[in-house]
Parts: sequence; structure tokens; C-alpha cells
Amino acid sequence: MDRGIRLFFLDLMLLMLGAVIIYFGFFSDGITNQNSSFQMPSSFLQLNTIFLSILIEAIPFVLLGVFIAGFIQIFITEEQIQKWIPKNRFSAVLMSCVVGACFPACECGIVPIVRRLVAKGVPIYAGVGFLLTGPLINPIVILSTYMAFGNDLKMASLRMGVGFAAALIIALVTSLVFRKNQLKRVPENTIEHGLNPKASFVKKFWHMLKHAIDEFFDMGKYLILGAFFAAFIQTYVSAQSLLQIGEGWVSSTLVMMGLAYLLSLCSEADAFIGASFRNLFPTSSILAFLIYGPMLDLKNTIMLFSVFKVKFVLYLMVIITATVFMCVSFLSGL
Amino acid sequence: MKFQAHQAFRAMILFAFFAFLIKLHMSGDILKYVNPKYNFLSQTAAYLFLFLFFIQCTRIWTRKNKHGEHCYHKCNHDHGDSHSPVKKRIAYSILTFPLLTGFFLPAKLMDASMASKKGIILNGTVGLQKEAKSETGTPPSLYAQEEKIAIDHEVAVDRKEVKKEAYDEKMKQLENAEVIDMNEEVFDPYYGQISENPEKYKGRTLKMKGFVYKEKGFQPNQFAMTRFLITHCVADATSIGFLTEFEKAQTLQQDTWLEIEGTLELTTYNGWEMPLIKVNSWKVIKEPKEPYVYPIWIKIL
Repeated sequence: MDRGIRLFFLDLMLLMLGAVIIYFGFFSDGITNQNSSFQMPSSFLQLNTIFLSILIEAIPFVLLGVFIAGFIQIFITEEQIQKWIPKNRFSAVLMSCVVGACFPACECGIVPIVRRLVAKGVPIYAGVGFLLTGPLINPIVILSTYMAFGNDLKMASLRMGVGFAAALIIALVTSLVFRKNQLKRVPENTIEHGLNPKASFVKKFWHMLKHAIDEFFDMGKYLILGAFFAAFIQTYVSAQSLLQIGEGWVSSTLVMMGLAYLLSLCSEADAFIGASFRNLFPTSSILAFLIYGPMLDLKNTIMLFSVFKVKFVLYLMVIITATVFMCVSFLSGL
Repeated sequence: MKFQAHQAFRAMILFAFFAFLIKLHMSGDILKYVNPKYNFLSQTAAYLFLFLFFIQCTRIWTRKNKHGEHCYHKCNHDHGDSHSPVKKRIAYSILTFPLLTGFFLPAKLMDASMASKKGIILNGTVGLQKEAKSETGTPPSLYAQEEKIAIDHEVAVDRKEVKKEAYDEKMKQLENAEVIDMNEEVFDPYYGQISENPEKYKGRTLKMKGFVYKEKGFQPNQFAMTRFLITHCVADATSIGFLTEFEKAQTLQQDTWLEIEGTLELTTYNGWEMPLIKVNSWKVIKEPKEPYVYPIWIKIL
């Protein structure tokens, strides 16, 4: 009882704190402006700016993701999914990769969608295919890659082609290694899950929105953590020192993949960064950068860890890294 | 009726996200975070937050004796009442953190210290990405449009997407104008062109704004006139700039904003042939309203 009261007061305090924050934040011009004795170190301000910019950039896509996840949760039944997904493993993987390629998403917005799909009975390997091609292959990414590389189709088509092949291989390897759904919290009584299927559309829609909110709060914290780490690395680790390691083909490819992972750029924007390395590194290393980044990066790793079992995420990271590296080396060997 | 504190708190967070995004748009600070081309995305997100806030408000009060209205279907995600109290508070602290820092800490512009972290300004590699665009041909002067842009800021914000003809026109101006004016609108394509064929532009006069960036390998009379190029958000900023020679360079501090006019020359730096600006006239300016430059997206249709 005592505990309950204490928690109640803690909640009340948090609420009041929140109200004060909103009041001052919105209606005054920021406290720091007037009060110059309160100075943050400039590198922290820089970190904070990058951190917020990553969040602002990602939030619209994450909101889209949670709405779709909510939609799947309420409107799509397990039976429908059973019907749609081919029984054959290879065609299931192929289908998921193609669907992912048609689906515009970013690497953080897609995590809640995949989780929802897998919870609804989509096999984990099909979920992986979708997870990988969703952010990598879509019209915006193709266009920005095309423009970043001097209106040259070669890089854009290599990115799509090799990326698609790599995603297929990764999903197939996953299908050999993992069977179960690999979700951290296994849904209990999935049959009870949805509402009464005969519930009215309005009621269903209402529930969809509530699900979207819950999903946002669930994913939001991991997105925030990921964005913060990525901003931290950008502010305190010099890219130049990383680049000095990159001599020779193998190490330059690994460096570019490492960079793609740490920078956690949105797949729509990374082409311009990739293009700026063209004189430093061979094309294949740049290609590795462009393919690896959308599949795996610091901020989506944290989200993946929150959704899937630790062992699965670690395996997946190894499989993705090895496959992308091999695909790119194979290409440069030609 | 029972008051659900955590649901109320969630509602408040949703509202705070809405308020934060709207505040950024109203104050114009959003420019310091993301490319204005993507403004509509964050605006949409802001109104979605407001909408979700209203939805969430309906969950704050629940009838007593009902074990949480949302518990009758069990699902594998957090409804806000499944975790231990401590875990829940950690989660909410994480969610509140960006709101706190966002509301209270000023946005900081990318500066020379970031440029040194990012590296790659002067080797001309950034410029090479513009290769295919270089086939555009010939003439008139920049000034007419320039004034219009300066007056009409609304246009200035939306202008990152230009029509093909307008773009070609701008590129013609680069070839023929007496003074090459590197204004924000054309900075990136002009920069690309000039660092790609420095020889072609040798002896021409160039006018630009930028901040001073100095690096170890520079001569005492050298610095780089630098701008940050933002594709999507400041996390993907690349610094681009011209090596500049100026006898008073020593007196200039890192990060000083300058407007200069100078003559383009050729030089080699670390084995790269690159353009060099010899300063003819200069003045220290305030940090411009639009400190960043953006890649141009050409509308094909």
C-alpha cells in the first residue's frame, strides 16, 4: 500500500514536471538564452543537435510504421496470412523480398511492422526478407542514389540488384538456421488477439489507433537510444581516423561497412555521403556502404534487440555482414 | 472513475512532441536540424502527434473495477502497465529526454570542429559527383533572380526543387557571369562544377559566403571557406569548401563567417589539383539565416 502511494506521488511529480516543461519550453524562448551562466559544453550541444535531427528525420517514418503495425494487428487475421504466404520456403522468401522492395520504408520504421507480421504468423525468414529490402529498395532511394552519383544509373542499379540478391541469400540462410518466430515476448493466446472479427469498422479503427500509440511508446524509447548513440559517435569519433585504416581493398570495404553501421544514416540520404568517398575507395567498397547501411545500423540494431531474441539478432548481424561482404567481393572479382 | 497516471503521462508526451515540432517550425529553428525540403514530413508528424494525443486522452479515465480497458486481448507489447514500476520510469525518462534537451538547449550549428571530424573538404571528391550534369552549356547574368530570391524568403525555402530549364539556366550563368556568385541556391552545383574543372574557371572572379576552417596542413596564409551540405538532416552533413589564400588569414579565427570576393587560381594540395581563391575583398558577416546549403533536386517533369 505504502509502495502504491509512493508511486502515485512519483507519477504526480512526473506529470507536474511535464507540465512545467511544456509551459516553459513553448511559451518562453528557452531558458538558456537569458541565463548565460548556465552553459553546456559546445560538443554536447552539437551532439544534441545531431541527435534531435536524427529523431526529427526518423519520427515521420516511425509513425507511419506504427500505424501500419496497428493496422496489421487489428485488421489482418492469422488465417489471411497463412493463406497469402507460400508454403514453399524459397517462394516465401522471394515474395517477402519483392513485397519489401515495393514498400517504401526506412530501417527504423519497418521494425514494428516486421514484429507485428511475425507475431501474426509470418515465418521469420520471410520477415527478414521484408526487413532488409524495405528500406534498401524503394523509389526514393533509387532516385537519390541516381542523383548522388552524377545522374549515373550504374551505381543505383548495382545497389538495387546486388542488394536484392544479398537480401535473398540472407533470408534463405536465416530460414536454414531459425525456425521459430524468435520474438522476445511470445504472444500468449494469439487466437484471442484480435477483436471480435464482427466488430464494427469504427470500433476496429479506434483500436488500431490505440495500438499505434502503444507501439509508438514501445519502439520510441529504442529509437531514441539508437539516435543518441549514433549522434554520440558522430560527435566524438572522427571519421578521418577511421578512413586512415582503409588501405587495400578488403580493409577499405570493411571500413565503409563500419562507417555505414556507425553513422546510421537514413537510406535516402546516405548515397550523397557514399558518393563523397569515390576518390578514396574503390566502387565495390562504396557499394558495400550503400547496401549494408540500410540493412543494419546502430539505431536499428537497438530496435531489433528490443524485439527479437539476443541470439537471433547476433546471428542475423553476422549473416548480414558476411553476405554483403561476399556479394560485393564476388562482384569486384568479376 | 479511475485516474490512469501513466496514460495521462503518455498523453502529455504525445502533446509535448507535437508542441516541440510546431515550435521548431514556428521559430524557423527547424532549418538547423533538417533540410527544408522535408518540412512537410515533420509537419505531418506533428499533427499526427496531436491527433494521437486526443485519442490517448480518452484513456486517461477508466471505469473502476475494469481491469484496464485494453487487457482483454493479450498481446506481446507494452500497454504501459505490464512492466515493473522502475522499468516503466526508465522508459519514460528516455522518452522525455529528447523533449527536455529539445526545448531547453539551443540548436547548435555545425562548425569547424565538426568539419574536422567529418574530414573530406578539400580533396574535391564531393565535386566529382556532378559529372553528368556538366554537359549544360551557355550564358546571362545572375543578378535578376538573385534579388528576387533575397526578397521572397517563402520561395527561398521551397526552391530546393527546381525545374530542369531553371537549372540549366543557372548553370549557363556559371559559365558566363562576370562574377560567379555562389549563393545558397546554386552553391552545391557550382561547387561541383568548379572543383571538377578548376582549370576551366581559372582567373574568374568568385563571390561567396562561408566560415573559416583551418587545418594542420594549411599554410599560415591559408584557410578553407566552408559550408555544410545537408541532404536530409544535419547527421548527414558534409563539409565542402574552397582553399583560400589571404595575407590576413592568421588574424581570422576558426568559424568566423566571411563574405569574400576573389580570383580563382589553381593549386595542388596533398597531391590533388584543386581551385584556390585569392582574396581581393572581404568582410566579416553575421552567421547567415540559412547557414547550410542543400543539393538541388531537379524536377524532370
